[in-house]
Amino acid sequence: MISLGSYLAISFALFILGIAVMIARKNIIAILLGIELILNSAALNFAAYTKFVNNNLDGHVMSLFIIVIAAAEAAVGLGIVIRFFQLRESIHIDDAASLQN
Amino acid sequence: MDYTISNIAPIVLLPFLAFVINVFIVKRFTKVAVGLSVAAIFGSFLYALRIFLDFMNVYNTNYYVHKAFNWFDLSTGAHVFKVNMGIYIDNMSAVMLLMVTGAATLIHIFSTWYMHDDARFGRFFVYLSLFTSAMLGLVLSDNLLSVFIFWELMGFCSYSLIGFYYEKEGAGNASMKAFMTTRVGDVFFLLGILAIWSVVGSVSFTEIYNAIGDGKFNNLYALGIPLATLAGFSIFMGTVGKSAQVPLQVWLPDAMWGPTPCSALIHAATMVAAGVYLSLRMFPLMEVGHLTTFIAYTGAITAFLAATIALVQTDIKAVLAFSTISQLGYMVIGIGVGSYNASFMHLITHAVFKACLFLSAGAVIHSIHEQQMPKMGGLKSKLPYTFLAMLLCCLAIAGVPFFSGFVSKDRILGDALIMALENPVYIPVALLGFAGAGLTAFYMFRMLFLTFFGEPRDHHIYDHAHDEHLGWNSNIPLLILGVFTLGLFYSGSFTGLGEVNLFGSKYEWFNTLIAKPEAKNLAQFKSYVSTPFSTVDMREKAQLEKSAYDASHGMSEEAAHHAHLIHKIGAALSVIIAFSGIFIAYLMYVKKSLNPAGCTEFFKRWTEALKNKYYFDDFYIKKMIQGGLLPFNDLLSRFDMGFYDKYAVDGWEKVNQYAYKISNWFDNNIIDSGMVDGTGASVRLMNVVLRTIQSGKVQMYFVVLVVVLASYVWTLNF
Repeated sequence: MISLGSYLAISFALFILGIAVMIARKNIIAILLGIELILNSAALNFAAYTKFVNNNLDGHVMSLFIIVIAAAEAAVGLGIVIRFFQLRESIHIDDAASLQN
Repeated sequence: MDYTISNIAPIVLLPFLAFVINVFIVKRFTKVAVGLSVAAIFGSFLYALRIFLDFMNVYNTNYYVHKAFNWFDLSTGAHVFKVNMGIYIDNMSAVMLLMVTGAATLIHIFSTWYMHDDARFGRFFVYLSLFTSAMLGLVLSDNLLSVFIFWELMGFCSYSLIGFYYEKEGAGNASMKAFMTTRVGDVFFLLGILAIWSVVGSVSFTEIYNAIGDGKFNNLYALGIPLATLAGFSIFMGTVGKSAQVPLQVWLPDAMWGPTPCSALIHAATMVAAGVYLSLRMFPLMEVGHLTTFIAYTGAITAFLAATIALVQTDIKAVLAFSTISQLGYMVIGIGVGSYNASFMHLITHAVFKACLFLSAGAVIHSIHEQQMPKMGGLKSKLPYTFLAMLLCCLAIAGVPFFSGFVSKDRILGDALIMALENPVYIPVALLGFAGAGLTAFYMFRMLFLTFFGEPRDHHIYDHAHDEHLGWNSNIPLLILGVFTLGLFYSGSFTGLGEVNLFGSKYEWFNTLIAKPEAKNLAQFKSYVSTPFSTVDMREKAQLEKSAYDASHGMSEEAAHHAHLIHKIGAALSVIIAFSGIFIAYLMYVKKSLNPAGCTEFFKRWTEALKNKYYFDDFYIKKMIQGGLLPFNDLLSRFDMGFYDKYAVDGWEKVNQYAYKISNWFDNNIIDSGMVDGTGASVRLMNVVLRTIQSGKVQMYFVVLVVVLASYVWTLNF
């Protein structure tokens, strides 16, 4: 049987990868993908804990919520990216630096 | 009549309120202010009359009203420090109240005529109101401390009124002289109060009498002198200053710079008499302190010296001023020879006739605008009412029978004669007293003759003098005062010897009511309890026995007979002396059969001394002030400049300079550079840090977020 540790390890790996993507990549769409990875790791955590700790459906429901929120977030994010591209003709993250100083 | 705060306080408060209100309205509503002052003093007079009538109704020698409230109490444990304020009215205060308010009312009314064309008409009444309230407060006071307060207040008013015409340099100097000279006496007075306090532990009259009756002053010494003597002497020096006795008499003649009504009120009737009043109040202390001989000598010397100086004065007010000093001297003789009653009687009679004399002189001065008697003469027909009033007063002061001056002065001289026969020490006192009486008659009639009789010596002045008409505020007060120069009112008999019984049991009321606070009647104060104010007087006055005149004055029949005989001899002697004085004045100034110039020629050096007032002023100015005070002043100023300024003040400057340097450095380096600039610098530093953080790079923010969250989680594990 797969232990809780394995689930958490995968979840942690996903989380770290997501953060790495968000920090390292300059492409806004790639950063959105990193956010998806982090959300997925959180959803995996919920599913794992609900299975091993209290054995009911709460975690699963929360995972479903996260999937829905991730879809909505991706839609909003892509919308922002399109508006940004129309404005700057670029999807490079460093072009979005008008808040500097 | 019950004595509560509401029927005693108005005596003092009415004039005081008039003063307070007038201070504000006098410039704009001068007439209203004047009316207010006059009305206020008249109101006081009515209240005083009520008290007087009540006392006459009770008619008991030992009757008194004493009400006190606690003014302040700073006692700690056994150390008692408590002062009561209150009123103390005995027969003497009741008579004094009536005299002060009555004379003040008439003088106020006269002033409305005398001062009406003066530029500072209203201001004069402001001072008069303040003065009268202070004087009445003094009479009502039940303790030495409040007496002292009112005493100083009167001194201030006297100062202001002497310097009333402050445009004249002489008036300013005279006011300062009066203030400073009386100040010498006041310092002694204050010391006396402290001395009494140290023994009695209170300054209330009743408690002082009580302490003297208990013999608390026995066997107490300070600096080897009996404490009672020291305290009595100090109190008496207050009298010397205020009542212008030798050697502090120099201020009173100069006080004549003030307007004449103020001279009448302050420097004749009330303030100068307050000094004598104080000594009378403290009479038991004077006796315990064995000061009577000293007092008698002071009075006798004053009476005689002032009378001689008055002989050569040509200014009408100066004559009256020296005559006042002389008459005050008689009162002091009265204290000295133990004739308490006669001394107080002379105070009252003198106040009346001297106020009248001053007002008459004021009327003359106002009519002819001249004070020098050699320029007057023959004014009898021009000023008939003034002449009448002045004649009555001159007869009174000279001691002609049936007039008040005879009744009172004769009794003082009679008592002096008795003392002289018993104790040779008093012989000079009696001699000087009788000689002074003769001189008094002479110089007063000299003044009268020079002013009103003979041919006008200066026709310009005579022709411009206004003919006098009877006016309610000009000569009516004079005539009222003139009527009260009759001896009848004071003795109840024409001669003052108690031989005519006019008012039944009330005859010789003055003699009956005013009793010397001797040891035997000090006992009444032993049971003294101070009644709090505003409670009803519980004593049944109807049950008090009415006092009756005791012709023997408590002496044995033989002694009384002896005293009576000597009194008669003294009376005869003083009548002879008075008439001879008047007769010589008549010969010199009316008949001109004696030439005054011959006299002055004969006593050339003495006349010179008299004209210089026995060189008292010269002595004080040259020896005391220029010889003593100014060098001392110089020494002090040298100390001030050479030592204090040089080392203390300049040294302080050095210290200040160092302190300045330190504080300057501190200011520049610590405050300015460190704190003020440091605030800016630290803000800028923070600015740099925050600016670098706020890069605008989203990923950078994210890194920070992750690091912070990670470190937070990491710390949670510990």
